[in-house]
Amino acid sequence: MTQVPKNTARLPSMGQKQAGITRRRRTDWADVARILGLGLLCFLTVVPLILALIVSFKSPSQFSRAPFVPALPLRWENYAFAWSIVRQFMVNTLFVSAVTVFGVVILGSLAGYSFAVIEYPGRTFLFYAVLALMMVPASLTLVPSFVLVKELGLINTHWALILPWISGGQILAILILRAFFEGLPRELFDACRIDGASDWQIYWRIALPLTKPMLGVVAVLSILSTWNNLIWPALTITERRLYLLTPGLYLYMQTYYTSYGRVMAGLLLGSVPLLILFLFTSKLFVQGLTSGALKA
Amino acid sequence: MTMGLNRRALGLQKRKKTGLWRSAWRARTGYLMVLPTLLFLLIFQYYPAISGLYRSLFNWSAGLPGRFVGLGNFVELFTTDRVFVRSLRNMGLMLIWYLFIWVVLSVLVAVLVHRLRRAEVQYTFRLFLILPVIIPGIVPILLWMFIYDPTIGPLNALLQGIGLESWTRAWLADPRTALYAVMLRNFPWIDGVSILIILAGLQAIPEEIIESARLDGAEGWRRLWYMELPLITGQIKLVSVLTVMWGVQEFAPIWAMTQGGPIDATQVPGMWMYSNAFRLGRMGYASAIGVVMFIITLVATVTNMRYIKTNPS
Repeated sequence: MTQVPKNTARLPSMGQKQAGITRRRRTDWADVARILGLGLLCFLTVVPLILALIVSFKSPSQFSRAPFVPALPLRWENYAFAWSIVRQFMVNTLFVSAVTVFGVVILGSLAGYSFAVIEYPGRTFLFYAVLALMMVPASLTLVPSFVLVKELGLINTHWALILPWISGGQILAILILRAFFEGLPRELFDACRIDGASDWQIYWRIALPLTKPMLGVVAVLSILSTWNNLIWPALTITERRLYLLTPGLYLYMQTYYTSYGRVMAGLLLGSVPLLILFLFTSKLFVQGLTSGALKA
Repeated sequence: MTMGLNRRALGLQKRKKTGLWRSAWRARTGYLMVLPTLLFLLIFQYYPAISGLYRSLFNWSAGLPGRFVGLGNFVELFTTDRVFVRSLRNMGLMLIWYLFIWVVLSVLVAVLVHRLRRAEVQYTFRLFLILPVIIPGIVPILLWMFIYDPTIGPLNALLQGIGLESWTRAWLADPRTALYAVMLRNFPWIDGVSILIILAGLQAIPEEIIESARLDGAEGWRRLWYMELPLITGQIKLVSVLTVMWGVQEFAPIWAMTQGGPIDATQVPGMWMYSNAFRLGRMGYASAIGVVMFIITLVATVTNMRYIKTNPS
């Protein structure tokens, strides 16, 4: 976890070079400028969302009068309408991402454990074989994967999404988890083996609980990628009741485009689940995003 | 092992071979644990990858038998296919832009955050910067499609409001502006993930170095250029590589906003591959595009890593 550097928070800035003076009386204009600048950037980033919020409470007549000025009364029925449609997408996505995360975590930790802890011939070769897949971009596999999924008869089922996503998620998961397992003390496992524990027991009782934070990171990365995927679900699923959230929101906006209030309500509703997840797991998110990228 | 003529050596060799098989058998749990993973990878990663390479040598559509054309698809790609050339140019342009916002801008913002005086303020900003990343990626795309709407979108409304009505456009439908509209979406373009990565690198700089730079009188820009930047080349390299890998392939925003149009103004290789496979039924040709993208990604990533390494710090 990164530490907040203490020195920049306390030492005097260029104005006062005298050693020993740690309290400041003059306002640090440079710092004020920084805060204003960053604040402006953050505000600008949020502006589209604020606009969406304002529009989401408007009826069509309110919108044509003054589109981007908040108006009363607030039209909550926009949200009721949006919810009736977006709800199905959310449920689908929850299901698919839950199963995917489960698969990635179990298989990835098993493989990571095996690569790191158990010794057997060909172990390094297999690991590098997995690693090599990182070089294979989605563009190479998009068309053949579609053909494969079609031949397996999985089109318009959620398995067309879950199975390839579990495979894709393996690579990074194994990378992260194997590194973690290698960092665990070897004596721990040796002691367990001497006590007669089998590898399965060691994995299940000892290694897995120890990796909980890392599993959290892998889970978060997996969730983010399942929720954000647009092309693949749009390609493989055409039945509306099976749609995931991301292609679903796109379809929703295309369909109801002229009902701007309802569209905005739907978009905002769609953002809520991940925000809730973030509230509970913010540390994992930060760690996951940065460490996932670092390991890659 | 050497092929010994000595009988004893032969005996040793034999024992070693049994040892290999025996140790493999003893470690069968190890193999078993990796088995599901390998199955998944074989079916859904290796097979498609190799199949993609193989099918790029054919002319085929879904459901029909294919006709072997060897490198014919590739020849066509680079000689007669104007759309593909256009897509490469667009991709290059977008890559330069993405590198700017994801590397240069992120470094600037990260330095700003890093130099904040109070810890709570810094923490708050870090939180705010990561928040946009949590929202599903489709939402900003759809929001900006709305913003760009010629009749009711806020952008044109704003321009009208401040008297610049002549500047209003059909941003996504006008071939002159479409590409830039897609590129410049998400103003102010800051990306939380790359900022956090660079910030982590900045925060890892030991305090003694910061102290000594400060005592030497280096502040502001000079400190950034001469001290901090060289120390975070690792993070910069990482963000650059990720940006390139992502930028060469990604076409979801294009798919959502313009589908490559109007008149190929926003065409990128990924989108062209998709169109060929699923609109025009030319799956072999699309596979060839996929192979070319694969090679481009590989070359770009390797050169990127090389370049940063030898860049004098």
